[in-house]
Amino acid sequence: MIGAALETLGQATLFIYQILKMIFHRKVDRVLIYQQIWHIIEQSWLITLSAGFFVGAIMSVQFTLQMKEFGALGYLGGLATSGTFREVGPLLIAFMLSGRIGAYTSAELGTMKITEQIDALRCLGADPMIEIVAPRFVGIILSSFFLLGIGLVASVAGGSLLAWGFAGVSPEEYLRHIPTLVTGFSIINGLFKCLIFAFVLASVCTFIGYNTGGGAAGVGRSVVNTAVATMVMIVFADWLTTYLANQWIVLQGVG
Amino acid sequence: MGPVNIQFRKKEFLSQFYFVANQSLLLILVCVSFAAVVTVLESSFHMKLVIQNDFMVPGFASMMILRELGVIVTALLVVSRVGAGYASEVGSMQVTEQIDALKMLGIGPVQYIVTPRVLACALGTCVLTILANTSCLISALLVSDFYLGYPPSVFLQSMRRFVAPQDFAFAMIKGFLFGLVIPLISCSYGFRCQPGAEGVGSSTTKAVVANSMTIIILDFILSYIFSHFY
Repeated sequence: MIGAALETLGQATLFIYQILKMIFHRKVDRVLIYQQIWHIIEQSWLITLSAGFFVGAIMSVQFTLQMKEFGALGYLGGLATSGTFREVGPLLIAFMLSGRIGAYTSAELGTMKITEQIDALRCLGADPMIEIVAPRFVGIILSSFFLLGIGLVASVAGGSLLAWGFAGVSPEEYLRHIPTLVTGFSIINGLFKCLIFAFVLASVCTFIGYNTGGGAAGVGRSVVNTAVATMVMIVFADWLTTYLANQWIVLQGVG
Repeated sequence: MGPVNIQFRKKEFLSQFYFVANQSLLLILVCVSFAAVVTVLESSFHMKLVIQNDFMVPGFASMMILRELGVIVTALLVVSRVGAGYASEVGSMQVTEQIDALKMLGIGPVQYIVTPRVLACALGTCVLTILANTSCLISALLVSDFYLGYPPSVFLQSMRRFVAPQDFAFAMIKGFLFGLVIPLISCSYGFRCQPGAEGVGSSTTKAVVANSMTIIILDFILSYIFSHFY
């Protein structure tokens, strides 16, 4: 079992290396990448915005309960926003996108593989990696990074709206404390997490989708595998980035 | 179209329960523990930022884990594993006309396929939530011992001040409701699957998205309702 896992890992590494090489040698058509970016953003912007909105609202409810105990509702906006930006927001929105973008792309590539469209491309002398996989890879990274960003902005809106209705903290007061508690480092940390999650999302779904086999049931199986593998790797990447960021703080002495 | 004479499928229920609870157990425990470690590190960062001290971290983190993190991360992982699995399974049954075959035999497909799955997933997610919360708290305890220097006794004391007994019950209720919703949504997308490999893929995708969205919104509603009971 460990041997098989290592084999898959090696294949995935080679797969990603191949794509990255194509990108750096500029073999990928830009128009295809733009098409992918537009396609993905058009499909998922609404769902990302609403997911971000509710994540912000949940965090706001929980922080309100605590801050009330200490009589420090003034800090609510800053704390809830900081918590959402650095940890919960990217994680939950990325989970959401792994269902939306990851499963979708995996199903799309799997269907192409099963219906022999990829073999047909190869017969026509085109490299399916350049024509199909690499544009999706780049498109997913860029667009999901963008989507995670706007999801975080939506989470601020959700948090402030809920604080207004639930705790009676007016939006001005909510927003006023954000700059004092949310440092530039926190924002960079959150965006770095988003970038890593986007990379994980893109590599897992293209790799599993491209290696689909075995009919309609096989497509279903690869979609399930993509969803599971993406979430596990996102949680792991979350821990790794937090750990590295904390080491960085210790080294640099900044907060 | 009523089912002719179907008893509750105990064997199917048990095998589905095994699939939900046992086969996802390791995956969920590992993921949730990592998430708990991240929570402890992050809340230590925040506490230091606001009050220049992180003595409240153990209680704060254990409250965060019990109220939100343990349940929602578990539920989203169950979505990706069980929910997507059910959607693709029922979808392939629909595509290969097995569901029509069931109808021909006078067996109600909903009662035959959905009922045992819904019960198994609801109970299984409830159990998984309890186990996930336990492993979360244990890993949070270990991390605050090793990284932040709070021995277990301090952790437990601080946790006792922050965490109310209702939290445990609320986490279980949340887990049960999430588990109830997941197979319902997944199977309904599976039943409406379009023919062909493309149909199975797209209905699985739609099921995962609808499930995650429903869980986030439901979690918000439940948190809001439960916040009146502290």
